[in-house]
Amino acid sequence: MNECKDSPFSLYGETLASRFVLGTALYPSPQSMKDSIAASGTAMVTLSLRRQNPQQQDGDTFWQYIRESGCRLLPNTAGCKTPKEAINLAEMSRELFETEWLKLEVIGDDYNLQPCPFGLVEAAAELVKRGFKVLPYTTDDLVLAQKLLDVGCEVLMPWGAPIGTGQGLLNRYNLRTLRERLPDVPLIVDAGLGAPSQAAEAMEMGFDGILLNTAVAKASDPVLMARAFAGAIDSGRMAFLAGLIQKSQTASPSTPTLGQPFWHQS
Amino acid sequence: MNGAPSQHIAVVGAGLLGRLTAWRLARLGLAVDLFEAGSLRDTPKAAAFTAAAMISPLSEVVDSERLIYDMGLASLDLWPLFLQQLSEGLSQPLQPASYREDGSLVVAHQQDSALLQQFAERLQFHLGNATEHSQWLQQNQLRELEPDLAGFHRGLLLPREAHIDNHALLTQLLTALQQLNVNCFERTPINNVNAHYIDTGTQKREYDWVIDCRGFGAKSDIKDLRGVRGEVLWVETGEIELQRPVRFMHPKYKLYVVPKPNRQFIIGATEIESEDLSPISLRSTLELSSALYALNPAFAEARVLRSDVNLRPSLIDNRPRIVTKPGLLRANGLHRHGYLLAPVVVENLVALITQQHPFSFADTLIEAQA
Repeated sequence: MNECKDSPFSLYGETLASRFVLGTALYPSPQSMKDSIAASGTAMVTLSLRRQNPQQQDGDTFWQYIRESGCRLLPNTAGCKTPKEAINLAEMSRELFETEWLKLEVIGDDYNLQPCPFGLVEAAAELVKRGFKVLPYTTDDLVLAQKLLDVGCEVLMPWGAPIGTGQGLLNRYNLRTLRERLPDVPLIVDAGLGAPSQAAEAMEMGFDGILLNTAVAKASDPVLMARAFAGAIDSGRMAFLAGLIQKSQTASPSTPTLGQPFWHQS
Repeated sequence: MNGAPSQHIAVVGAGLLGRLTAWRLARLGLAVDLFEAGSLRDTPKAAAFTAAAMISPLSEVVDSERLIYDMGLASLDLWPLFLQQLSEGLSQPLQPASYREDGSLVVAHQQDSALLQQFAERLQFHLGNATEHSQWLQQNQLRELEPDLAGFHRGLLLPREAHIDNHALLTQLLTALQQLNVNCFERTPINNVNAHYIDTGTQKREYDWVIDCRGFGAKSDIKDLRGVRGEVLWVETGEIELQRPVRFMHPKYKLYVVPKPNRQFIIGATEIESEDLSPISLRSTLELSSALYALNPAFAEARVLRSDVNLRPSLIDNRPRIVTKPGLLRANGLHRHGYLLAPVVVENLVALITQQHPFSFADTLIEAQA
């Protein structure tokens, strides 16, 4: 996007070179993950300590592959159901990956992995106090978003749809409301996207970035899909900056009939 | 057999790869010593004992790549041959290890049918439109094949897939090795595996070839080797009968149930990027057992016999690899595909030692080291 004047993608005072944030789970192999990260052009990747036993350095080889990408690391608290679990995991992640940045997940429902609004706010408040830079994975609820800002979150990550469903933007009204009411807060649509067109749509609506994992990692060709999303996110951003025309009920020809060149007149 | 019969070979690691390699070479008349860090019969360490032992090129291609499928097909041809030769070779014939080519089934509950559809589409992506690789079954056809899966509205049959009674196989391989005068050393960890020699810690032993089949045990010698933790449960019930492995699609789990002798079933497996060998977690226990229960509620009364945890030896691309230099072959990286790929890897090792024509897939598998 070297020809359009875009404001920097800045989170917690730090500028990221790409508006695409990519997850590191579910790839067919570490090689495929590394290639997908490179193809996506991302500057920040999420990763999870969940299910591991970090005291024993048990995942070192795998984490090393992620570190080698050179991207900023955004540890997450995937799968945590209570603030206490999430806070413990956050502390472990901070120590292991040497970063205060955290994608906070507190899950309220096991089947669709919907965030628990109450646990999320409670955990976010505590983690901000402890010096974390919290990027909460939240629903598209405006009041919840405001509460998260109140407790000190500077970035919000509303869902498009439940994690891994590939449903796209399920509630455009709510998402638009978030964007309009919180114009100065960096908003990243996180989760639920399946197709690049959905990511482009979110960017056209003015969201600041996209976070996803499954849609790339579980594609038949993850590397190609990473490129596809990168292109869509760029296109969506450019479209937002360029200004979309309004939809209209009546046709308006782009070439006025009055000015038809003479050779079209029979 | 046209190689030099005087060759003396050390095989280090008595998992599936080590046992098969030692057996193939000993059959050709080579003098083979086999070394195992753990026990050969009681609580062996090898991932081969933890595995469910499916030979499932179709199910595996869905989450990997075409190469795994092609190698798997070659293995499907080799396994029956190996098993036949194995039972023929024994002076006291054993009941051959059960090897069944009854296919496998993929099912999902109705609310997760998109996952089943995606599985079918992924097969098509990798294998093209050929219809012989899979077959949709409606509820009545499914019930005919597997009456205990009557709760499912449809399923996908993968007719070519097979599964093997791996514990019987691994025991038989050991018996065959002993009858072929292979020296089997157990509880003998070899930390120094080199070209032309190994060091047992107390003794340096020289060989024409050393073959490193230690799996995850070779971590210090193979830079990009990592362990991928897998957890399984063994249960026993007389209430449910399955003829073939069943894969169960679920938004969070990718699980399988494989029938084993004596009314036993193995359910697995988690796949965690971790080299932690501590016991199974409560979370994994819940996930595995609830998947069983969802498959058929009659599993609720099954008895949990044991859980097992092991590390899949995996390289960065999750593909197998044979690194060669004069006097040393290191085979590793079979990842979650031990039984699926071992015959192909072993035939490549044998071809390298006996200097026969390279076996299939040599170009992809073998990497010469300076």
